[in-house]
Amino acid sequence: MPAFGKIKALFYRALHLKSGCERMDVFEAIKGRRSVRRYKPDSVPDELIERILDAARWAPSGGNIQPWKFIVIKDKNLLELVRKVSPGYLGEAPLAILVCSDKEREYRIGGKMGRDYLSVSDCSMAVENMVLTAYALGLGTCIVKSFSHIAVKEILEIPEGIEPELLVVTGYPAQKPAPPTRIPFREMVYLNKYGEKFRTSME
Amino acid sequence: MSAQRPTGNDYLFEIALFLATSAQGCLNEPPLYGPFRLLDALSRLADFPDYATGLNSDAFLKEIKAIVDEKKFLVMYDVDGFKRAIDGIVEKFAKEAKKRYLTK
Repeated sequence: MPAFGKIKALFYRALHLKSGCERMDVFEAIKGRRSVRRYKPDSVPDELIERILDAARWAPSGGNIQPWKFIVIKDKNLLELVRKVSPGYLGEAPLAILVCSDKEREYRIGGKMGRDYLSVSDCSMAVENMVLTAYALGLGTCIVKSFSHIAVKEILEIPEGIEPELLVVTGYPAQKPAPPTRIPFREMVYLNKYGEKFRTSME
Repeated sequence: MSAQRPTGNDYLFEIALFLATSAQGCLNEPPLYGPFRLLDALSRLADFPDYATGLNSDAFLKEIKAIVDEKKFLVMYDVDGFKRAIDGIVEKFAKEAKKRYLTK
């Protein structure tokens, strides 16, 4: 097993080098990631797509239900059609990954709370892993919720019980958006009780 | 990304599809996404003469499209700036409308 571990490490190292990306600090990825809406036409290698999906499936989920299903959309015609029924999908990218929740599985294991709430938060946590990993691999992403669920289900032949949650548009960025503003700590962080000042050296 | 250049009818259908899916989205999306989608539709409509026969490209609409495409994302991080941008666009439209309909 140690030999396998070594090979695996070398493989990932090679992937990092291939993507022109060294190991990245998680905080650097969190702060550096942006919503990208202009992409280069270059396709995303399968190895990188797999890494993004591997990161997604290691996200936490309520009761470890792992309700997610992922549809990797690479076919140009399908991608274009999905874009046309997704008003929030701005710009053209060579790849999109639709993250769906398995509502039946959620209900079976997690009950009403699972179906109505956890499925959404679980998929969101998977998506966060995806966009951070993509950023660390030199890719840009944009998380899209503004798409027609009815139309996307029809186009991608998604069965009943599986609900599209978020679309992760991905590709090599052709822009570097400026950092958006953030609500200051004093307006959102409290100590012990709501409204009590939390002292910070960050502001 | 499209394999071939769309015809006028293709482009018209695409705009109609955008409007229909936007209408569905606007039922539940943040209220400001309504004006955002309308601006986006305006930007797309400005390109319609590029694909349709019998229509001439409109320099004014192209100018507005450039402004829209530059300013529309303000909705994500600067709501006041977004509102000011819409005011500015409407002001330009008003001046252009006066020029087009009231002169002569």
